[in-house]
Amino acid sequence: MFSKLVRCSSSFKNVKTVEAFVRSSASEKCLTVCCVNLKRDFSVSRSTASVSGNPSHSQRPDWNRAVSEAEKIVGYPTSFLSLRWLLSDEIANVALHLRKLVGSNHPLLKTAKSLLYNGRNNMQAWGLIVLLISKAAGHLNVEEMEEDKAAGVLHSQRALAEVTEMIRTSHLVHKGLVNIYPGLYPEPGVLNDMTFGNKIALLSGDYLLGNSCAELASLRNQDLVELMSSAVRDLAEGEFLGRRDLQNNPLPSRPDPAVMQAPSPPPVPGRLPRTPALLEWTHRNVLSAGSLLGKSCQGTLKLAGHGTELQEQGYKFGKHLALAWQACLDLEPFTSGSHYTLGTAFNLTSAPVMFHLEHDPSLFDEIDKGIESVHDVDYTKVHSIVSKGKGLALTKQLQKEHSRKAMEVLEVFQESDARTALSNIIVAMGEL
Amino acid sequence: MLSDRKFIIVCTMACIGSGRLCARGVEKLCQLGQTTQVRRKSSAAFVKIKQIGIQPLSRTLLQKSTSNHVHVCSSADVTTPTHRYYSQQPGPGSLPDYQTVDPYRLLEDDLKDVYSDIRKELRWNTNQEELHTIATYYFDGQGKALRPMVAILMARAINYHMNKSGLTPAQRQVAMIAEMIHSASLIHDDVIDQSDFRRGKPSVNVLWNHKKVAMAGDFILAVASMMIARLRNNDVTLTLSQVVTDLVQGEFMQLGSKETENERFAHYLTKSYRKTASLIANSVKAVAMLAGADAKLSEVAFEYGRNVGLAFQLVDDLLDFVSSSDTMGKPTAADLKLGLATAPVLFACEKYPELNPMIMRRFQEEGDVEKAFELVHKSQGLEQTRFLARKHCLEAARLAGSIAESPYQKSLIVVSDLVINRMK
Repeated sequence: MFSKLVRCSSSFKNVKTVEAFVRSSASEKCLTVCCVNLKRDFSVSRSTASVSGNPSHSQRPDWNRAVSEAEKIVGYPTSFLSLRWLLSDEIANVALHLRKLVGSNHPLLKTAKSLLYNGRNNMQAWGLIVLLISKAAGHLNVEEMEEDKAAGVLHSQRALAEVTEMIRTSHLVHKGLVNIYPGLYPEPGVLNDMTFGNKIALLSGDYLLGNSCAELASLRNQDLVELMSSAVRDLAEGEFLGRRDLQNNPLPSRPDPAVMQAPSPPPVPGRLPRTPALLEWTHRNVLSAGSLLGKSCQGTLKLAGHGTELQEQGYKFGKHLALAWQACLDLEPFTSGSHYTLGTAFNLTSAPVMFHLEHDPSLFDEIDKGIESVHDVDYTKVHSIVSKGKGLALTKQLQKEHSRKAMEVLEVFQESDARTALSNIIVAMGEL
Repeated sequence: MLSDRKFIIVCTMACIGSGRLCARGVEKLCQLGQTTQVRRKSSAAFVKIKQIGIQPLSRTLLQKSTSNHVHVCSSADVTTPTHRYYSQQPGPGSLPDYQTVDPYRLLEDDLKDVYSDIRKELRWNTNQEELHTIATYYFDGQGKALRPMVAILMARAINYHMNKSGLTPAQRQVAMIAEMIHSASLIHDDVIDQSDFRRGKPSVNVLWNHKKVAMAGDFILAVASMMIARLRNNDVTLTLSQVVTDLVQGEFMQLGSKETENERFAHYLTKSYRKTASLIANSVKAVAMLAGADAKLSEVAFEYGRNVGLAFQLVDDLLDFVSSSDTMGKPTAADLKLGLATAPVLFACEKYPELNPMIMRRFQEEGDVEKAFELVHKSQGLEQTRFLARKHCLEAARLAGSIAESPYQKSLIVVSDLVINRMK
């Protein structure tokens, strides 16, 4: 079935055949089978990716409604995971190779699953936000040819939204590599699978990164190329921050005595105190999320011809939205009614844990057991300790703070359906 | 023995020497090659080439490689014509009657800070020590710096051609960018190939974990992209971004393919273009564009780079069969062990069809690597590969000959010679 996909994809010459192919049930079946297989293999396994990869939490209806209504505002669905992309030779090739990996334990499958199967809820939303802010801000002095009238955004902005998604996906795929070290996989067959999985993951990520370079270059705006490249740089840098286990999963850092003794800035009323834990959390998540969304929002306003001041506002919006989002994801394992299963791994550098550690450093004794593998930590214990402490309340405050800052930016724009959609998304996030 | 049909076709292609997607040309010629008429034509072309001779070449090479770099100090000597070298046929045992320009010597001032400037650029972009260490690992100044060297030579040659002098800062940046893109791809290759050694030291993937190595590669690429953007030239950005997509597509082609025997050589050449030649071709094109070259002149630069790049890769693939592990930075027959069928094997399987099933199973079975290695040495595969590489170098030299005469332009010709003669 996959070989058919491969063959078909390389022989497509015109849109009509593509459409015909899309309608044919074979292709649907093909993808479904792939997804089902992936789902079957991973719904039970507790792979490292559940910690190191992007948590693909199931979202509640309000969120889905906010997102799907927002999508209508900016035209067709935004994901770059469009047919054009799926039908490229290289990706067809990847699909072919992925199939070989089914049954192995490589986290790339998990990443692939979240792209194909669960793609609606996380990946796409980033591009969507770029498009919504594009529409909310409008554009100045742009040739008519450049405009996608129905959607109210420029073609170049749509391309940028796609670049944002490609960069993000590429990063997630590269993050999904397995660190193979001597002795990790004594069985040669397993070692082979993992090595091969790494190869495919690395190449797929590179493919996306390469395509995003080419797509950016075609926009012929060097300020934008520099800006977005710096976002790629930040994502890479983010993977080096702080303590890491052997699979590069982050662990909170033991407080630096020098920092502890330094006088902390006077607290601002209504604002979280700038403690080392907060600074570390913010630094980490600005690099791994805020920078990309912020710079994408900044970039799209640049494309629309807005001044640097408004561009700065765009950056602020994207950054704060991403941080609010992260705070919200961090809360998920501690929220009743969430899909979190007690005892399974969650992010040890999530805001609730970080805040808690600042008030109760004794928890470091448990955390430090994860120095080789975060899976050696007793999550039930950490969960129960953190749940009783101040961490959750502080994280909720953190989320509100960033949501509010993002909302403030929205006020500079005129009332519009796109602006409303953005604020709906922020509100829906607060209710998760 | 040499009159294998496919080899003739490939040589004919090399003679034609134009057409960016050389592989397409081969494909077409392969189809045409079914008709006898074309085959006869090809043979004629081949005989002509043969007269220029493989035999004297290989001997000169051996001699030349012992006195690897002939240093020339005075600029008067630098201008000694070298482009006629290829038509000369020095007798056995005597060196050609001219002095060679050493491009590395000529560009000493331009090249001496390339690596440290790259390290500085990377330093500015992160304060994470480990990231900095991995990212700068291959910029230790031990590499050949072939790409920066060729880019700067072309920049200076084209500048001279356009009645300008010197090297612009932007052109020098392109030279650095070329080396950075190259290193980023090396770093990712190390993870993919699981190699233990590169350039005589442990590979990055041995020293650091795979995820961090992958991220360090992304980091270098991102910093390089920022440098590209700062040149503020749309066409240069487009040209250089093409390199990145080519590199990845080349890797994908290497992953495994089930092409037929007829498609195989075309596939190999396209892969070599994407993995190696594209970077050299597009970076010399970029420096030409930055000099203000018109489309035609930029294309000359591009074609020069493409030919040098293909020759470089062919020689690389050849050396994999002849170098011992101490002269190369990596062990011999590494490609076979990775399951890759390169030019020497593809040529050899014309004479030894038993190689075909081994190629198809990527030398996975016990004894395949040894058997293939032996058959390549028994066949004319290595000579044929060197011959093809030499054809590309001749074409590169011809193209360089169309640029106004200057020490740099001469060096471009010498570079094509160095590529053929290199021992590592």
